[in-house]
Amino acid sequence: MWRFLGTRLAMGALTIWITTILVTLLIHAVPGDPVQIMYAQSQGTTPEQIEEVRRSLGLDRPIPVQYAMFIERLLHGDLGNTIRGGQPVLDVIMQRLPNTLILACAAMFIAILIGVPIGFLAAYREGSVVDISLMVLAIAGISMPHFWLGLMLLFFFALELGWLPVSGSGPLNLILPALTLGLSNAAIFARLTRSSMIDVMSQDYVQTAFAKGLPKALVLRRHVLRAGLLPVVTMMGLQFAFMMGGTIVVENIFSWNGVGRMAVEAIFQRDYPIIQGFILTFSVVVVTVAIVIDALYAVLDPRIRRA
Amino acid sequence: MNALLSVRDLAVRIGTRPLVEGISFDLKAGEVLSVVGESGSGKSMTAKALMGLLPPAATATGRAEFDGADLLDADIAPPRGTGIGLIFQEPMTALTPVLTIGLQLTEALVSHEICDQKEARRRAAAMLDRVGIPQPEMRMRQFPHELSGGMRQRVVIAMMMLLGPRVLIADEPTTALDVTVQAQILDLLREIVAETGIGLILITHDMGVVAEMSDTVLVMKSGQAVEHGPVTRIFKSPEADYTRTLLDAVPRIDAATEQAETKQDVLLSVSDINKTFNGRGPHLFRRHGTRALDNVSLNVRMGETLALVGESGSGKTTLGRVIARLTEADSGKIQLNSLDLTACKGRRLRAARRQVQMIFQDPYASLDPRQTVGHTIAEPLIIHERLPRSERNERVRQLIEKVGLEADMARRYPHEFSGGQRQRIAIARAIAARPSLVIADEPTSALDVSVQARILDLLEEMKRGEELTMLFISHDLAVVRQIADRVAVMRHGKILELGSTTQIFAAPRHPYTRALIDVVPVPDPARKRGVRPALKGSYPAGPLVEASPGHWVAS
Repeated sequence: MWRFLGTRLAMGALTIWITTILVTLLIHAVPGDPVQIMYAQSQGTTPEQIEEVRRSLGLDRPIPVQYAMFIERLLHGDLGNTIRGGQPVLDVIMQRLPNTLILACAAMFIAILIGVPIGFLAAYREGSVVDISLMVLAIAGISMPHFWLGLMLLFFFALELGWLPVSGSGPLNLILPALTLGLSNAAIFARLTRSSMIDVMSQDYVQTAFAKGLPKALVLRRHVLRAGLLPVVTMMGLQFAFMMGGTIVVENIFSWNGVGRMAVEAIFQRDYPIIQGFILTFSVVVVTVAIVIDALYAVLDPRIRRA
Repeated sequence: MNALLSVRDLAVRIGTRPLVEGISFDLKAGEVLSVVGESGSGKSMTAKALMGLLPPAATATGRAEFDGADLLDADIAPPRGTGIGLIFQEPMTALTPVLTIGLQLTEALVSHEICDQKEARRRAAAMLDRVGIPQPEMRMRQFPHELSGGMRQRVVIAMMMLLGPRVLIADEPTTALDVTVQAQILDLLREIVAETGIGLILITHDMGVVAEMSDTVLVMKSGQAVEHGPVTRIFKSPEADYTRTLLDAVPRIDAATEQAETKQDVLLSVSDINKTFNGRGPHLFRRHGTRALDNVSLNVRMGETLALVGESGSGKTTLGRVIARLTEADSGKIQLNSLDLTACKGRRLRAARRQVQMIFQDPYASLDPRQTVGHTIAEPLIIHERLPRSERNERVRQLIEKVGLEADMARRYPHEFSGGQRQRIAIARAIAARPSLVIADEPTSALDVSVQARILDLLEEMKRGEELTMLFISHDLAVVRQIADRVAVMRHGKILELGSTTQIFAAPRHPYTRALIDVVPVPDPARKRGVRPALKGSYPAGPLVEASPGHWVAS
């Protein structure tokens, strides 16, 4: 198991390293001069000021040197300063990252709490009216864009019924954005759980468990659920990555003060250090979650544990 | 004596479609009833109906009297486990992978309130010991994947016997196992029947197993019973035509072999091949450095069929793959005619691949489901021969007809064919580019006996008509005896004995070969043997010495 996790850790480090290269190149991927574009909207910047920014960002040096500088700063925990305001990027991100993580975790919790039981029920009643209606609902859930679902929830629960606040931060404010993000993921989990459970239920070992005369509830709880949840756990890791992406949209709808909203603002303002820092932070979060999920998988599946 | 289980007019239907009809039999205590039939004959459905484990869409009618109640009565809870136990074919999938052996053994005892957890563990350990599993306490803490196939089947048997059933249904319990392990499991089942006096229903397609094990036989075909009677009568004077066909189709290990004249010219020469699989990859070869081939050398002569036999893990498949260059050897040389296959790379290797073609075990997996069979067969021609389209189509037609199918089937897709037909297509594909050597890796293991017999006939025909040289990899000694000119016996990556088919079967010199031949069940109830020798321990595995002309034995 330690070797298994060691490999995963090395793969994760590699992924993050590749991200740092991409992040350095990113600034050059946009056509035209990056600093010119950054200041295109602001009036009255002198060529000297532009030159100064260019130097401070190191953009006058060859790309490998830029990369080396970037890495050197990174290893000292320095992601640079924002262009607007000149605050350290790391502080800006760290201030908001917890909000985003809270949102993503709450959404994941909702997705599993709703998706897994629905999938299990549908699999148990495979082919019945219950199964078909649940799965139609699930397809609708998957097809629904976040921004539309978010606006609908906002309309009904905040404006029409007035039960929940429209925007801001606080425990009550968390509910709507987490639901928005969680519901469509619940649909994905429901479908996956269903197909995985159906697969497991047709296995010989489930038939064997029945042949021993075990009561149905025990067979389902002990033999079917444990084995059937393994693919769902794998999916959790992948979905978490997508969910982090989803936060960008949802945070903007609900004005949730997370890194997603900050990133969109930074993109509009061409604040490259923030964008770079944002991408890097996200990649670290996604890689960390993936490793945690792999470890969890190893705990659940003895075949990997002893490998 | 009264029957334990008395079945009358059992029928299983899905909607109005009958799957099983008019099955009647009695099972007495201490009796072994074999239910024989090919795939689709309804034998497994019959078992599931008795267990009350039919899929929801299926309904069973008739009567099945057990312990004063009707098993088919939907209002009565079936005595699963405690009254009737069920063992499945595939021990690899019969145990839940995420639960410990101990939990799976004890949970039913606790759930049926036969005893408490502590007593259940004690009983489970004793039962594991009884079915021949050493260190039961340690095994109970392990997970199924840590046990071999034979051990798992023992665990499943123990699991069912713990509940003290009076009838045990075993659905192809040894089909997925090596012959030697099969012999041990059959012995175990026989001992259990003798000791406990349970009634055993043995579902199988193997006439050898039937002859070894049963008292009475029920032959099934397309959901109906075609014959029912004592085992000696069924084998001596079968009444139904189908039973006769079934018996005739069975290859006999004790049959006489006719020796074909083979040329002495060497087509393929394999020398000093070594292959070690290292411990990479979490699933497959978990142990570090599994030595699959250990200095293997052998010659295949022009026009002969050389069989590689051995149990799983003997290296026979690896050797075939190494010769086809599908797996790279660590060292050694493979020479085909004057061509050094091991030295070929890139374009030359691709050209050389034409010379060596493979037929795989599972025709369901070896044909691309998204290509028409015509295209599958034409593909080697497209790659290796630049022919005008019309000529190529003509060749495909000829090939399809040659393997006994109709030419207009070329436009169909693999899922429209049966297993036997698919294997014919795979054979047509293999011979399409006129290879000098065909490697057939267990080409009939996935097929029913009657289909197997026809595929073996086809291969014989190809060999004569096309002057095909074949490397025939198999674990089934009876099949090998029928088709091979020469035989190489492999174990643990080494060749232990090599000789003509007559030499190997009539006068085996190596103790392992003798033991291997001895454990094969013979389809003749008169030759029922007692407990067979275990195939464990070490055998001489030194360099090959020529014991008599052309007969090489490891010293």
